[in-house]
Amino acid sequence: MLLKKELIESILDTGLATGADFSEVFIEEKNAESIQMIGGRVEKVTGTKVFGVGVRLALGNQSVYGYTNNQNPEVLLKLAKDLSASFSNDTLTKRVSLSELEVGKKHQVKINPKEVSLETKVSMMKKANQAAKEYDEVIQQVSVRLTDNVQEVLIANSEGRFVTENRVRTILYVQAIAGKDGIMQTGMESLGSGKGYEYYNEDVDVVETAKSAARIAKKMLFAEECPSGNYPVIINNKFGGVIFHEACGHSLEATSVAKNASVFCGKLNTQVATPIVTAIDDGTIENGWGSANFDDEGYPQQRRVLIEKGILKSYMVDKLNSRRMDHQPTGSSRRESYKFAPTSRMSNTFIDNGDSTFDEIIEATEYGLYAAKLGGGSVNPGNGDFNFTVMEGYIVRDGKICEPVRGASLVGNGAEILHKIDMVGNNLDRGRGMCGSVSGSIPADVGQPTLRVSSITVGGKKGAK
Amino acid sequence: MNIDKLFKVALERGLSDVQVFLSNSNELSIEVFEGELDKYEISDTSSLVVRGVYNGKMGSYVTEIMDDSLIDEIVEHLIANAKVIDSLDDAIIYEGDKNYVTVEGLYNEELANTEVSKKIEMAKNLDKLFHEGSPLVSIAQTMYQESSKTVMIQNTKGLKLFNKVNSAYFGGDVIVKDDKDQRTNFDIIIANEMSDFEYEKLAKEIVEDAVKQLGATPVPSGEYEIVFGPIALATLLSAFQNIFSADAVHKGFSLLKGKLNEEVGSDKVTLVDDPFLKKSSSSRSFDDEGVATKYKELISKGVLKTYLHNLVTAKKDGVESTGNGFGTAVSAINLVMLPGESTKQELIDSVKNGIFIKEVQGAHAGANPVSGDFSLQASGFVVKDGIIGAPVALITVAGNIISMLKDVVMVSNELKMTYYGITCPSIKVKSMSVSGK
Repeated sequence: MLLKKELIESILDTGLATGADFSEVFIEEKNAESIQMIGGRVEKVTGTKVFGVGVRLALGNQSVYGYTNNQNPEVLLKLAKDLSASFSNDTLTKRVSLSELEVGKKHQVKINPKEVSLETKVSMMKKANQAAKEYDEVIQQVSVRLTDNVQEVLIANSEGRFVTENRVRTILYVQAIAGKDGIMQTGMESLGSGKGYEYYNEDVDVVETAKSAARIAKKMLFAEECPSGNYPVIINNKFGGVIFHEACGHSLEATSVAKNASVFCGKLNTQVATPIVTAIDDGTIENGWGSANFDDEGYPQQRRVLIEKGILKSYMVDKLNSRRMDHQPTGSSRRESYKFAPTSRMSNTFIDNGDSTFDEIIEATEYGLYAAKLGGGSVNPGNGDFNFTVMEGYIVRDGKICEPVRGASLVGNGAEILHKIDMVGNNLDRGRGMCGSVSGSIPADVGQPTLRVSSITVGGKKGAK
Repeated sequence: MNIDKLFKVALERGLSDVQVFLSNSNELSIEVFEGELDKYEISDTSSLVVRGVYNGKMGSYVTEIMDDSLIDEIVEHLIANAKVIDSLDDAIIYEGDKNYVTVEGLYNEELANTEVSKKIEMAKNLDKLFHEGSPLVSIAQTMYQESSKTVMIQNTKGLKLFNKVNSAYFGGDVIVKDDKDQRTNFDIIIANEMSDFEYEKLAKEIVEDAVKQLGATPVPSGEYEIVFGPIALATLLSAFQNIFSADAVHKGFSLLKGKLNEEVGSDKVTLVDDPFLKKSSSSRSFDDEGVATKYKELISKGVLKTYLHNLVTAKKDGVESTGNGFGTAVSAINLVMLPGESTKQELIDSVKNGIFIKEVQGAHAGANPVSGDFSLQASGFVVKDGIIGAPVALITVAGNIISMLKDVVMVSNELKMTYYGITCPSIKVKSMSVSGK
């Protein structure tokens, strides 16, 4: 155990002494290892040991947070006392009694990254490097990055909640740069999971992933600039789901909804999307990149149906924001580390399967952009305006995928785009990313089947189409 | 942790040189939402970065637990990490420079000693001013964030350096609403003296700019003259700052490869890295490798003068380190685009058919540091015959960073230190491709 139960109870008690109605302790120890390879050579290997304690107190809607990585009991009690000074009620004596420690048992791993030697990891990375480098002579540079995390958390609160779990995550990035005549283009692929090294041995093909990064870089090197304008866009499955994540997901988090700062405020049980759209945020998927046993307030992760056949069914709500909203908490509270107070965040978010096949969607499109792979993006949750980039794009003409185009970005409004999804495919798949927001950068899974948006603003350097 | 003991154990185990970099950070963060204290956060954190040379390779380990019982484990990690490294880069631990610039005023007691209650009151006052600023303000949030950082370097070559700095930012954002539209606006002041927080002016600007953006729509796609405000320019530059890293150049990740002493901008463009900039929490007299930092022009009147170097990249190029070795990267300390001679009004006056871009979004994804291409969501105002007109949103402005810098025709004479740690004037670019309706 990371700290003694009695000490945790004392910290919780100290926090409540001036009238707070809630106190919480979050303790984290994380061991990470990161290897960076450039051009087939290992450039850097860094081990990291993170340790810290976060204390949160709340009274009604008001909350305070403090953190330190000092383990000294006196320092920790002083932190709770300093925070409690924000509440000025009469001194009270409350005794918190924690229940028996509950240990998260789902998402077990077979091969813990700690037990895999650096040499084995490097050898896997070299295979990826070689596959990308040898893909084509235009590939000039390849970088491969492998990071493993083993995070042990312990969460306790004044309601007696007392839980712990071990979270294992591993991610591999391959970036290839293709160059010719002074022009350079990049292609990127990633693999990541809440599994251990059995993921690389059994589930995925590192070599194929590396080749795909090289393939994208080469395609984009010989692509034309994307024409700008407003036209239909077909967004491919897997990482294409970042469109829903950015455009709508963030605006469904209590972080913005509770403050009346989201375009989806007051829209529960109303039509917010075309009836072919069902969207789910599921933190329980076995060993998912964004899964966990407990959220970072210590409550069980859940499967949340956000939109069902176009009707808004649920927001994603953490415990404290639920006080501002007429909405139960949904086990959605997450944080990067002890350095952040938790708040509502997405986990594994995806649009569910529809009826169309991939071919039917392409064939039904007279002219449009096929975004085979998206890059990242961002959104302003206040008004729902979003943007994201297309890493690999093609023009669709007369129902056929034609020439590749590069440099495209898609801009639009989250609330509007949901009403413009006019075809949803049946090939749901998920990809992974890191999502940055108020409570830090966290692993978040995105997904969707291939789908079509009837019209969206496409930015590109070639003039209007 | 007993550093001498760590050094002793490491040297006994066969490491040739070892360095520790100890940083401590104290932070205070206050947010006021709708008149109420919504966030109050305090922290005290430390981390120790240990780097050690084993068989000519550099192993590294970072820990937030400073217990002596970890010394053996740390040394084991350094050796294991160094063993798998096959980089051709040198592993250098630095003996130090003769002189280090002493920068006055980087740590201000007055800021640190001002009562927290005063800072909360200031945040509440700003919130009040937001709401008084316009009846259209539907939601306001204000924030005050202060940090105090100390860093210490010590190594087995006898180097020992210390730096202490504090800084704060203060500002907020508003959501304004009318019956048809909803817009947000955000801005901050960065300073390390309480009197620098002139928030009455800030509140007025934030609210006025938000209201002016109501009803924003895309413009027709086409080529426009573009004026970038300082925040938009800083956002764009932040996405491209890694191109100045010699490490990125050597490894093929920068479009500035082979461009030294060549034109990469118009003669109006001078970009410097100023490690001694007042009021910046990044200001330092030495970098993480212990090298003395220097003021330098990266781009001088449009000509690329130097890359940013750490010890390893400098040795490769046969030059001196510029004192930009930070963490695992080579990066700028305080990028500043130097001011020009025109007023901001003169920039606007000169525009026949263009757009004033106040903000760009999505720079972390929509800008490619390898090709220099970018395509970014932007918002601002139409400018027609020198007159600022209708608000514009949901457009993208696309181009290439080098072509853009070459097309800079005017630079304003005032500077703004932005959230990104980059200080910028406003600039006017001859023509850029805009995609809208």
